[in-house]
Amino acid sequence: MLSSSDKSSRLVMTDVCKSYGTTQALNQLSLNIEKPGVYAILGHNGAGKTTLINCALGLEKISSGNMTTLGSKPGDIKAKLRTGVILQNSELPDLLTVNEQIELFASYYHTPFSVTEIIDKCDLGDFANKRYKGLSGGQKRRVQFALAVVGNPDLIFLDEPTTGLDIDARKTLWNVIREFANKGKTIILTTHYLEEAENLADRILIMKAGKIVSDTTPQKIHLEAKGSVIQCQTRLPQSSITSLPGVDSVSKKGKFLEIRSSDDTATLRELIAQDPQISSLTVSKPSLENFFAQIENSESAQ
Amino acid sequence: MNNSFNRTMRSFFLESGAEILKSFRAPEFILPTLLMPVAFYTLFATIVPMGPESAPYLLATYGVFAVMGPAIFGFGISVANERDKGWLALKRVSPATGGSYIAAKVLSTLIFASFSVASIYLVAGFAADVSFTRATWASLLMIHLFSVFPFILIGLSIGFLCNANAAVAVSNILFLSFSALGGLWIPIMVFPPAMQSFAHFLPTYHLSEIALAVSQTSGQGDISYHLLVIGVMTALLALSTALAWSKQRNS
Repeated sequence: MLSSSDKSSRLVMTDVCKSYGTTQALNQLSLNIEKPGVYAILGHNGAGKTTLINCALGLEKISSGNMTTLGSKPGDIKAKLRTGVILQNSELPDLLTVNEQIELFASYYHTPFSVTEIIDKCDLGDFANKRYKGLSGGQKRRVQFALAVVGNPDLIFLDEPTTGLDIDARKTLWNVIREFANKGKTIILTTHYLEEAENLADRILIMKAGKIVSDTTPQKIHLEAKGSVIQCQTRLPQSSITSLPGVDSVSKKGKFLEIRSSDDTATLRELIAQDPQISSLTVSKPSLENFFAQIENSESAQ
Repeated sequence: MNNSFNRTMRSFFLESGAEILKSFRAPEFILPTLLMPVAFYTLFATIVPMGPESAPYLLATYGVFAVMGPAIFGFGISVANERDKGWLALKRVSPATGGSYIAAKVLSTLIFASFSVASIYLVAGFAADVSFTRATWASLLMIHLFSVFPFILIGLSIGFLCNANAAVAVSNILFLSFSALGGLWIPIMVFPPAMQSFAHFLPTYHLSEIALAVSQTSGQGDISYHLLVIGVMTALLALSTALAWSKQRNS
C-alpha cells in the first residue's frame, strides 16, 4: 500500500532489512527523502551504503520492510525512467566514443537532454569524439555522470562517484553535481571522503552497521558542535591531561595530541602552565571529522 | 503508441550500431573470426585439395565453421567482459531492455557471420569451381545462417556463467573441439568408431550433415534425423541459457 506522501517522495524506506546469510547489511532502516538537493551517505566500508543504493535500484531484493523509489516498487520501469545512476566499479564499453555512449543511453529515456546539451553541461567537449578507453580517470567519471543525467531524471544515485580521483577532478565533478541539485534534482551519493560531504551535501546521513545513526546537515554540525579541539605537541603524559579543567577526551594523532575541551580558556591556561615548552599549538572548532569520529566511538562503546 | 514504437526502434538501431562498431574496432576479434575460415578453406579446397570432391564437401562443413566463430566468441567473450565490468548492471538499472541488447548482438553476429560465409562462397565459386544451382546456393546459405543460433546460445551461456578470463579459455576449447570432433575439418568417417559416436552429441556434426545433404554432396542417413536432433539441442540450449541468465541476475 502506498500512502499519498509516498507518491511525492523520492525515496521512502520503512523498517527495511537486508541480510546475506547471517550478515545484516541493512538493519531496520527507515528513511524519507522528499526534496531536491544533495544527500551524502557517509560510512566506513561495510556500513551498508552500497546495499542501500542497490536495493533502491531494485538490483537487490530487500529481506523485509517497505520501500518505494519515486512512488514505485524499486526496479519498476516507471521509477527507472526517472532515475540516473553511477554504480560502484562500473565501466563503460572501451571502444565507443563519448558521443556514441551518450547518444545510445539517451535513447533509453522518454524526455532526455540532447547529446550536445549534456556534453556542454558536463563539460565533455574536449574529448567528446575520443574512445572511452583513452580517457583519464576523471574524464571517465564525468562521462559516467553524463550517462546518469542524460535522461533528465529526478533522482540520481551516485555510488562513490569520486573514489580514486585526484582533488582537481573531484572538484570539477562536485561543481557539475551541485548544478544539477540546484535545478531541482535529488542526488543521493555515497562517499567516505568527509570533505566531500561537508562541501557538497545539503544533508548528511551517517550509516553504521546497516543503520542510519545520524541524520544532519553541515550547518548543524558546525552550529551544534560544542567546545573546541586543541592540538599540540607536549611532553605531558596523556593521563595528566585528562584531569585538566574542561577536558572531555584526549587522543593521540601521530606526533600530536588532540584534546577535546568544553572550556578551552581554562584548559589552555593550565596546559601552558604545566608545560611551558608546549609547541605546535592550534585551537579549532570541531569539524565533521571530529563529529564522525565521536559517533563511531560512542556507537562502538555501546 | 506510435511514438513509443519509434523510440524503441531508434534505441534498437543505436544499440545495433554500437555492437557493430565495438566488433569492428576490435581487430583481435575480427581478424581471427573472419580470416581463419576463409584462409583454411582456400588452403584445403584450392591449394592442396584431397580430390575433386574436396571443394564442395568442405564448403558445407566450413560454412558451419565460419558462423561458429562470431557466435561463440562474439557472445561468450563480450557478454562475460561487459558483465565483469559492470556495464550490464548499469543497463539493468537503466530503462534499457535486455531484449534489445541481445537482439542487437544477434544482428551484429548475423552480419559478421554473413561476411564470413560470403568470403568462403566467393572462393568456392570463383577459385574452386564449385557449381551449384541457385536453389542449392540459397538453401545452403539458409542452413549456414541458421547454424548461428545454437552457437549464440552456447556463447550466451558462457557469457553469463564465466568471468572474462575464463570465457576466453572456455570459448576457445569449445570452438576447437566442436570443429575437430564434429567433423568440420576432417570427415568423421576417418575417426575411430568411439569418436564417430561421440560426434552425434555435437551440434557441429548435425549441422554439417544437413549442409552436406542440402548441397547433395554427401549426407549420412536421413536428414530429418539431423533436423530433429538439432531442434532438440537448440531447445535444450535455450533452456540452459535462460537458467544461466536468471542465475547471474540473482547472484
